Amino acid sequence: MPELREVPDEKPPFLGTWPRVYAAILIYLAVVVVAAWLFTRAYR
Amino acid sequence: MRPIDWIVLVGTLVSIVGYGLYRGRGSNTVGRYLLADRTMPWYAMALAIMATQASAVTFISTTGQSYIDGMRFVQAYFGLPIAMVIICATVVPAFRRANVYTAYEFLEKRFDSKTRTLASVVFLFQRGLSAGLTIYAPGIVLSIILGWPERVTTVIMGATVVMYTVIGGIKAVTWSDVQQMCVIVLGLVVALVTVVLLLPNSVSFGDAMYLAGAAGRLNAVTTNFDWNDRFNIWSGLIGSTFLFLSYFGCDQSQVQRYLTGKSITASRISLLFNAVAKIPMQFFILFIGAMVFVFYLFTPPPVLFQRAELRRVEGSAAFRPLEAQYNSAVERRKAAALALAEARRAGDAEARNQQIGEYRAAQAGIDDARARTANLVERSGGPKGFSDTNYIFLSFVTHYLPAGVVGLVIAVVFAATMSASSGEINSLATVSVIDIYKRHVRPEASDLHYLWASRAATLFWGIYAVAFAGWGKKPDSLIVAVNVVGSLFYGTLLGCFVLAFVFRRVRGTATFIGMLAGEAVVLATYYFGHVSYLWFNVIGCVVVVVTALAVTAATSAIPATRQPG
Repeated sequence: MPELREVPDEKPPFLGTWPRVYAAILIYLAVVVVAAWLFTRAYR
Repeated sequence: MRPIDWIVLVGTLVSIVGYGLYRGRGSNTVGRYLLADRTMPWYAMALAIMATQASAVTFISTTGQSYIDGMRFVQAYFGLPIAMVIICATVVPAFRRANVYTAYEFLEKRFDSKTRTLASVVFLFQRGLSAGLTIYAPGIVLSIILGWPERVTTVIMGATVVMYTVIGGIKAVTWSDVQQMCVIVLGLVVALVTVVLLLPNSVSFGDAMYLAGAAGRLNAVTTNFDWNDRFNIWSGLIGSTFLFLSYFGCDQSQVQRYLTGKSITASRISLLFNAVAKIPMQFFILFIGAMVFVFYLFTPPPVLFQRAELRRVEGSAAFRPLEAQYNSAVERRKAAALALAEARRAGDAEARNQQIGEYRAAQAGIDDARARTANLVERSGGPKGFSDTNYIFLSFVTHYLPAGVVGLVIAVVFAATMSASSGEINSLATVSVIDIYKRHVRPEASDLHYLWASRAATLFWGIYAVAFAGWGKKPDSLIVAVNVVGSLFYGTLLGCFVLAFVFRRVRGTATFIGMLAGEAVVLATYYFGHVSYLWFNVIGCVVVVVTALAVTAATSAIPATRQPG
């Protein structure tokens, strides 16, 4: 890997850790896809 | 365009340019000019990323797409949150810690100079083509509204964008993007409210939703798998994840946005904001197109929305029976739509089923007449593969929206063009100077020299974009054309970065050979295969990675067998 400089990796402003933030985004995606599918079924 | 529309349009554009120039003042070093000295707050980066991605094509073409084909194009964005999470977890911290100006500079630190140069050239070629498409879209607008030649409008647009991009650099680009995004959101909300208000009094919003759905215009999700089908949930979740990984991880026009952040956290939050906001925004734009479709159920639409091409065939004998078929089908569809809405409100299931059949049959008659008229346009000397998808929304705007709103919607189109074009031109200039000029031509010049080289490169790419504007006017839909061009090259770039991050044993030469192989396979698939463009990103990436791993395995085996004793 290339030469790296020290850059501090702060905590996210919400949910405590980055993995939790990422999990929340993926859950959000699942909700959006299911909502879009239900929307399609409701109006076809 | 009435005087109030001109006031809204000109006032919006002048304020955007003025604000960009004001915020971009003091960009007198290369670090400030290209990366704003890494001082941008997350919300400015987030809106700039969104604005850069939302070109005028998004509004002109996406609304037309849902008018014709329904809302299933939204599935092409399902991979975006997945891609953003991967990029935030891997690419963002790596780029920040490597302290690079461009994504391709990272490749030299990881591999070698030739890999960096090849990736830079692929980016310049691909993004240069897209820049021509981006700046062309407003040409369509003014050619409809004012009858101005498209070439004149692209020159005016290009000159405006180049002015503030050359002078103010990335700070001017980013802060004007913020303002442009605000104009875009306001314009979209006003457009949707207006189109709903324009529906007949007897048609409620619920009726409008029902009628759009019955005609297949609210089909946001399709679950059938088909390689040839451009938009389904599988190509959306898998193919578009690769597309957006490439776009946000390897395309300098986006990478440069989040490299300007104050911290890794600011860069991550700006990307995750897009992961959350982009799908609803795209859904909203597509929904406007579906409501325009409902509007035209009750107001007879023209046979073709591109009136110049319609005039080409209007006088011909072959057009008269098509026009009669079309007018008859439009009347039948209107009657069926009103009856269907009435049956829905009455809860009469039998009448509803009967009217749905009539409604869909009438729609099929309309589609058939439009397709045959488009074919007639082609046979009468019109453009090959003629389609009026890009003209539907603007035709509606200019004919039916009230004074002031027309100016606002046109300002949205211009704002979107400016944000996308300035981002593209700025990133093209950055790669030209940092990855090509500074690396291979003048490695030891002063900071001031590179600052002026960056300004000169910005000017060059602005002129280039204007010169090549309109090359993509033939494709059926500009939004698809932009994504197809990107997908032809993104898979190769993505494969290169996957090797950089995941496979530590792979070196520069193997990556270089893998990239050549990947691009060859993608181009061969494009010309000879029948595969939806979203899959090009997957194919390109996989071929690059597999080829590089094979070359690495082969070359590491050779010295082992030749080593003495």
